[in-house]
Amino acid sequence: MNKNLRKLIRQTNLLVGGSITLFVITVAVFAPLLAPFHPVDDADLMVSEEPPGAPYYLGTDIQGRDILSRVIYGARISLAIGLVSQTLNTIIGVLFGLSAGFFGGWWDDFVMGLTNIMLSIPALVFALAIMALLGPGLINVFIAMGFTNWSFSCRITRSQALSAKSLDYVKAARALGYGRIRLMFTQILPNIIGPILIIGTLGVAWAILLEAALSFLGLGVQPPTPSWGGMLSAAREQLFTAPWISIFPGIAIFITVLGLNLLGDGLRDILDPHTQTQHS
Amino acid sequence: MFAYAVRRLLQFIPTILAISLIIFILLNVLPGNAALMSRGEQDTGTLTTEDIEEMKRDWGLDKPLWYRYAVYLKGLVTGDLGKSFLRREPVNQMLKERIWPTLKLAMTAMFIAICLGVPLGFYSALRQGRIADTVTMIGAVSGVSMPQFWLGLLLMYFVSVKLQLLPPQGYGDGSIKHIILPAFTLGIGYVGLLARTTRAAVVEILTLDYIRTARAKGLSELLINQKHVMRNALILVLTTAGLQFGDLMAQTVIVEKLFSWPGLGSLLVDSIFQRDIPVTQGCILVIISTFLLVNLIVDLLYGVIDPRIRASYK
Amino acid sequence: MKKWMIILATLFLTGFLLSGSAYAVRKGGTLNFMAPYGGDLSTLDLTKTSRYQDYLVGMNIHRGLYRWDAQNSVPVLDLPESVEISEDKKTYTFKLRPNIKFHNGRQLVTDDVIWSFTRIATMKPSAPAFRYINMIEGAKDLHEGKISEFTGIKKIDDLTFQIVLSAPIDLSYSLWFPAVVIYPKEAVERLGDAFGTNPVGCGPFKFVKWVKGSEVILEKFDDFYMEGMPYLDKVTYKIMGEAAARDLAFKAKELDATIVGAVNYPEYKADPVISKNMIEVAEMFTRLVGMNPDFKPFADKRVRQAINYAIPADLIIEKILKGKAFPARGYLPSSSPAFDPNGKKYEFNLEKAKALMKEAGYEDGFVVERAIGTANKSWGTGIYEAMMPYLKKIGIELNIQQMEGAAMDARIRSSDFDMFIWSLDSGPDSLETMSRWKSDVDVGSGNYVKFKNAEFDKLLDQAAVAKTDAEKNELVKKADAIFTEEAPVWFFNYNKAIMAFHPWVHNLSKVAPEMMFQDLTAVWVDETSPRANEK
Repeated sequence: MNKNLRKLIRQTNLLVGGSITLFVITVAVFAPLLAPFHPVDDADLMVSEEPPGAPYYLGTDIQGRDILSRVIYGARISLAIGLVSQTLNTIIGVLFGLSAGFFGGWWDDFVMGLTNIMLSIPALVFALAIMALLGPGLINVFIAMGFTNWSFSCRITRSQALSAKSLDYVKAARALGYGRIRLMFTQILPNIIGPILIIGTLGVAWAILLEAALSFLGLGVQPPTPSWGGMLSAAREQLFTAPWISIFPGIAIFITVLGLNLLGDGLRDILDPHTQTQHS
Repeated sequence: MFAYAVRRLLQFIPTILAISLIIFILLNVLPGNAALMSRGEQDTGTLTTEDIEEMKRDWGLDKPLWYRYAVYLKGLVTGDLGKSFLRREPVNQMLKERIWPTLKLAMTAMFIAICLGVPLGFYSALRQGRIADTVTMIGAVSGVSMPQFWLGLLLMYFVSVKLQLLPPQGYGDGSIKHIILPAFTLGIGYVGLLARTTRAAVVEILTLDYIRTARAKGLSELLINQKHVMRNALILVLTTAGLQFGDLMAQTVIVEKLFSWPGLGSLLVDSIFQRDIPVTQGCILVIISTFLLVNLIVDLLYGVIDPRIRASYK
Repeated sequence: MKKWMIILATLFLTGFLLSGSAYAVRKGGTLNFMAPYGGDLSTLDLTKTSRYQDYLVGMNIHRGLYRWDAQNSVPVLDLPESVEISEDKKTYTFKLRPNIKFHNGRQLVTDDVIWSFTRIATMKPSAPAFRYINMIEGAKDLHEGKISEFTGIKKIDDLTFQIVLSAPIDLSYSLWFPAVVIYPKEAVERLGDAFGTNPVGCGPFKFVKWVKGSEVILEKFDDFYMEGMPYLDKVTYKIMGEAAARDLAFKAKELDATIVGAVNYPEYKADPVISKNMIEVAEMFTRLVGMNPDFKPFADKRVRQAINYAIPADLIIEKILKGKAFPARGYLPSSSPAFDPNGKKYEFNLEKAKALMKEAGYEDGFVVERAIGTANKSWGTGIYEAMMPYLKKIGIELNIQQMEGAAMDARIRSSDFDMFIWSLDSGPDSLETMSRWKSDVDVGSGNYVKFKNAEFDKLLDQAAVAKTDAEKNELVKKADAIFTEEAPVWFFNYNKAIMAFHPWVHNLSKVAPEMMFQDLTAVWVDETSPRANEK
């Protein structure tokens, strides 16, 4: 087979994943332009649970709201949750990891111990407990998930910091008096951008699924906000009588998460083919 | 390596203690208490403030936090995990009853994941770079991308209702047909992971020198696969599976709730909602201990198999 | 003339034969029933639990002094064959049936009654069942350890005893509830805590097995004191908290009966076979939205009434609950003897609502910051979502706060809310039900909306000393009318409990206080059941 074509196919992950992700982002950004109805205010009990058909192309939910519009706006919520929580995760993880790797000593031991603990506690349980504690609200969802999943970025950063520390030119710079903090940011950070990006991408997917699980248990995003997980959970019992209510948000989650996973895999193939940056 | 194992085992203790402390504090600052949940969801009968205070006293919830944690620790040492607030049963008893269903579910799920994932990974590795490879990989990734309960519901609907092949839920008499749907829902997420790991392992091995030599000698590809590649790949796969097992134990929550599976996961979630603190702590303890233990066993096995690794276990 | 007589005779005979076959009860078979309330049972020692999940199974294993008569919707005697009540209504003299046996073979006598009651009063930690007997003389002292014997229960002989109350309360309404049940002392002492998982009672069914989280199996007790009963050989309670799963199991004929959820109701109603085998009753639970008078707009009756007029409860019941509820008028449900079918109902009237809001000075509306609720499908945040468009029309915005049950309960008790949505117990004793809203009852004891009305209190006080039940119910009815007029809550609905069963099941009853409290003594299955011959 043509060598270029082979290369292209090998990069299918990146292509497919990237396009899907881009598509979802576009939908989220242009939601008000794309959605035919308002996801919350256009509720009419008289059209409750209508099957798909004009003008409700994906049907209506039990409150009489257009599902297509809610799925479109739901992209905003899901992406927001994914991005914000992953950003928080990354910041926490990188800060911990850099400092642990670079400064070493008891601080390193402490951080590694903390990481082990975080990895041992089931994420869902931890997030559940925090949500139960903080109570309702989108912000609290950000916090709960933001503090749950920083272990991987922490570890990656730390090992990078450790290996950088022993590099000759770094040692030389230290001897010359260059500040540790400056070295951290100028030398180490650029090297970890790749793995961080991969972890981040996969993390956004993970966060979206986690939010769906939390909603299933009743502790996700507040109604009437349209989150995909919330829509799925709310329509759970109607799967058999009004399946369109749960099928479409489910498909939305599936496609988005699939896209993000493929993108992450694709990135890994390019940037980091030999390291196992596992995420499950 | 024995010393290494013992040291790792001893490290369990501070880890478990730290986790139990974190969870203990978290559970005790949650709003509401078990007294409020003792009547079910609706406001049945009048539960006066005195009633609630009396129940809290009975459960020791009126004592300060440090005192309660000390009591809990004392219990841990003697193996007494306390009594459930709402059920008055010893937590040990409750855990004993629920652990086997979860273990069974987790093992079956892992088994399914291995049976599906490994051959998929193999196939992909052999057809590396071609369309079949990508398609298979996408298929595997799909399993991870679906919300578990959505998949479970779809399976329930199509297999139980439409085709009437399997019972929709419950443990039943423990026979196979009850475990298939939940195990499949749980396991499908790991198919992707195992497929990818297998594929990577096989690809790596296929490029090794001695394999190239074997191929040059004219052995058919199939023969190569079976002898050299298989063994090494399998080792990698099994250790990955093992490492994921602890994670899987914790993942059972959603599936157990959906399929009314009487395991540790559903007990854990129910007890959090009911604020039945001793039960929650007991469940967490078991799940985390299992996780740590399984990780240790896998690491040790890895050391037994691969002497290079063993050397690093000082 | 003769021909006419022959026709008449034939009709009469046919009718007689047909009715005869309706009474031709069939003995034997297994009933697959369900325990639908959430997770596993907690215990089968009913004195130690408050959960309905436990009661609904345990009530067929254990018995007490009274039980609920579903036909007439009142409590009736169970273990005693007769009772004499004194003039001052404080002394009850019971005479036990002479043929009651425990599952271990021993006869049930007065000593067992006294022992069981004493056990409940002295249990540590406190028995949830205690609140049903704390009105007996000496109960509180015994509970606190001040005395060592139950002074309020006096043995007269092995089958006769007296219960003396500290106040003239109707004992039957406390004791019908499956919490105060009689146990054999030797079994409880022998098994200790394990009694909860291996109960021994005197009810129609004996305990066989409890597969944790999955099912409870009971079998017929041959020496049950009701001759010839129970009819069933075996009962299996399948623990199924998920409505979807129950629906599937019922359709697959794995369940003989099921509680119908709102989602499945339209489908079941439309099914030609199932719709003929459904029983409905207005359960004694009132679903409402409570309004906190500490939130300034809600202190004004006109605002509260406006809210009641602005929301079409009937439409929400139809669309969101699929018709599986009775629209509420007043607090007492339609199955209550003190219910007033002609009482004031807040029919949907947007104009009137707007006028009231304007009159109260809230023409521009306001924001309700804390509208709390759970994710419950019948009385949770989903209902708030349905209310929102209508409240918007009178300028009210809702900020929904969804949380789990424990958190919501805690916030209601500390009055940390503007609005809450919940389901409150409203029966079966009408007086006790309405007494929750008396001025001297604080939030911690159930008066969540801080209702204070002197006239209301007076009516209930009069009802407490009424000479007859009819008089009592009249007074309570008037009190409910005041409650309705003041509108301290948005009246939503009374639950419509529906049980669907397969045609081979007979004699399930309409139990208003709680549909799942099914006494299976007189239930039977005919030959068409797939389990007709299962033992």
